Amino acid sequence: MYRQKYIFLLPGLLVLVAVILFPLIFTIRVSFSSWDVYNPGLNNAGGAMYARLWDDSRYWEALWRLSLLSLSTVLIQYVLGFALALLVWRDIAARRFLRVLFLVPMMTTPVVMSVIWRTIFHESLGPLNPILEALGIGAQPWLSQATHAFAAVMIVEIWQWTPFMFLLLLAGLLSLPSEPFLAARVDGAGPVRTFLSVTFPMMGAISVGAILIRAIEASKIMETVYVLTSGGPGTATETVSYYIYIRGMRDFQIGYAAALSLTYLVIMAVALTLIAKALIRLMVREARA
Amino acid sequence: MAEIRLQELAHAYAPGAPHALKPLDMTWRDGGTYALLGPSGCGKSTMLNIISGLLHPSEGRVLFDGQDVTRLGAGQRNIAQVFQVPVIYRSMTVGQNLAFPLVCRGGPTPRIRQRVEAIAERLGLTPLLKRPANALTADQKQLVSLGRGLVREDVAAILLDEPLTVIDPQMKFELRRILKEINAEFRVTMVLVTHDQTEAMTFAEEVIVMNHGEVVQAGRPRDLFERPATTHVGHFIGSPAMNFLPALAVAGRAVVPGTGLSLPLPDGLPTDGLVLGFRPEHARLSGASGTMQGRVARLWFEGLDEIVALSHPAGEVRLRAPAGLGLAPGDTAAFTLRDTALRLYRNGRLVA
Repeated sequence: MYRQKYIFLLPGLLVLVAVILFPLIFTIRVSFSSWDVYNPGLNNAGGAMYARLWDDSRYWEALWRLSLLSLSTVLIQYVLGFALALLVWRDIAARRFLRVLFLVPMMTTPVVMSVIWRTIFHESLGPLNPILEALGIGAQPWLSQATHAFAAVMIVEIWQWTPFMFLLLLAGLLSLPSEPFLAARVDGAGPVRTFLSVTFPMMGAISVGAILIRAIEASKIMETVYVLTSGGPGTATETVSYYIYIRGMRDFQIGYAAALSLTYLVIMAVALTLIAKALIRLMVREARA
Repeated sequence: MAEIRLQELAHAYAPGAPHALKPLDMTWRDGGTYALLGPSGCGKSTMLNIISGLLHPSEGRVLFDGQDVTRLGAGQRNIAQVFQVPVIYRSMTVGQNLAFPLVCRGGPTPRIRQRVEAIAERLGLTPLLKRPANALTADQKQLVSLGRGLVREDVAAILLDEPLTVIDPQMKFELRRILKEINAEFRVTMVLVTHDQTEAMTFAEEVIVMNHGEVVQAGRPRDLFERPATTHVGHFIGSPAMNFLPALAVAGRAVVPGTGLSLPLPDGLPTDGLVLGFRPEHARLSGASGTMQGRVARLWFEGLDEIVALSHPAGEVRLRAPAGLGLAPGDTAAFTLRDTALRLYRNGRLVA
């Protein structure tokens, strides 16, 4: 009965298979081979690639670095974005202009902006160090020292993606009902208490959403690192995706890169799920009610 | 608790814009119950928000017990307000919700707890104190909102902005009863904003009818029912609405042509725009002849009563009659009406 229904499902299924299932299954297969420059092709290497990965400290360091980088930048983006959204939420002069202004960084191309930021950070030619010197802070080795380079990547990430947080949180704020705020005023709550007791709890669900979307995006940081520092100095700013790029595309160790990618995929899926659960527990109070 | 006085109060939302609330003077007795009644957009919520301090009036003053509070913010006025949508602080328990106004003002914790427990006891919320407020039903949430007002001992008045609109009919009755009890017990001034005339008439000692930003009539429910100041009030209050028929001046009397409805015209009154009105409740069906005769157009069942719509060349009138008279659409019927039940209006305003 109605056997022709499968005909209508077929296009969607084909796309699913071609776009998601085939590459995934192929990657799994490749990860069990030792496909590289010298031995191209699918052979059977068993779990050799995974054993090698287990001992690859550069990979685990990149993973740890990525966690630090993404969690800290997303957190700062959230705080800044929330603050900016609160700033232009109520009727203030020129809020339309400010709303557009805050969105400009998000509209720019990451690679282009990374190039511009690299120029800004340039230790002898860039504009930043002369400004810092004028302020009495002194020139900083922005891209040549490990901690500074890490901070530089963070700054660019925060600059680029805070507008996204701002946009989502502003939309959330604008959708809030006005009565609780009126009630808080009648009850005599000041601005801080109103924020903590009214605004923030009501923004819980949308905050979790915004943070998760950014966390998923941030776990793939690649172009900023590539353009700004190329993972350097040394491996000080090397993230997982950049390391996989080096192994797969530069060294052409296809089998090993596949194993790295899969491990990365699983770790990220588990980690983001746990983060989501934790955030919901922490920020969305009514979920428990 | 306080007497609330509105002095030459008026409000326009922007300079030069038309008044959302036209200039008015009014005094609300300490401990009284008042209802602001009117259609949506008539300015009743504007008035309420001015009293609670959420809105600063563009003209005039608000006095609590003779003290000018016009420029004070909502938090400094000791006013409690219950909104149409039940407002609860979602992240808190019922107990924390009730304590919130006291916590905001500071004070010893044991005192706050004692007060919260007393109010919860009064409102029947004691078993729910530890529950998350978000998990309550709409009417319980509305009780919590009310409780947040009552918990402050110094509260000058409780303003209720259509608080029963989203409540189930059954619970509406219950909540209205609780409100009346609270008023009697705490002697706290209560002002109810509503567009439901039954709610206003049953709740308040004095009803203030508003239309287009203006107070049309203020008085006891019986006065509004018996002597509506305008045809608008007559339409708005009472179910079914008051009957109005255009009248002509004939030999010093206002007469509805083709009927026995007539009233003497006061001296010197211009004779255009005359209307005679009467309540459906005051007419008595009287068989074939009477003050006015017409054809039965429609009938509505209303329990012990029946609403009969009579059509007549002068217009359609509705009567409230005991059910079971055996009338059917198309029948001819007549009714009698005492002159004392007739009201004369000119250009929509009560004359006699």
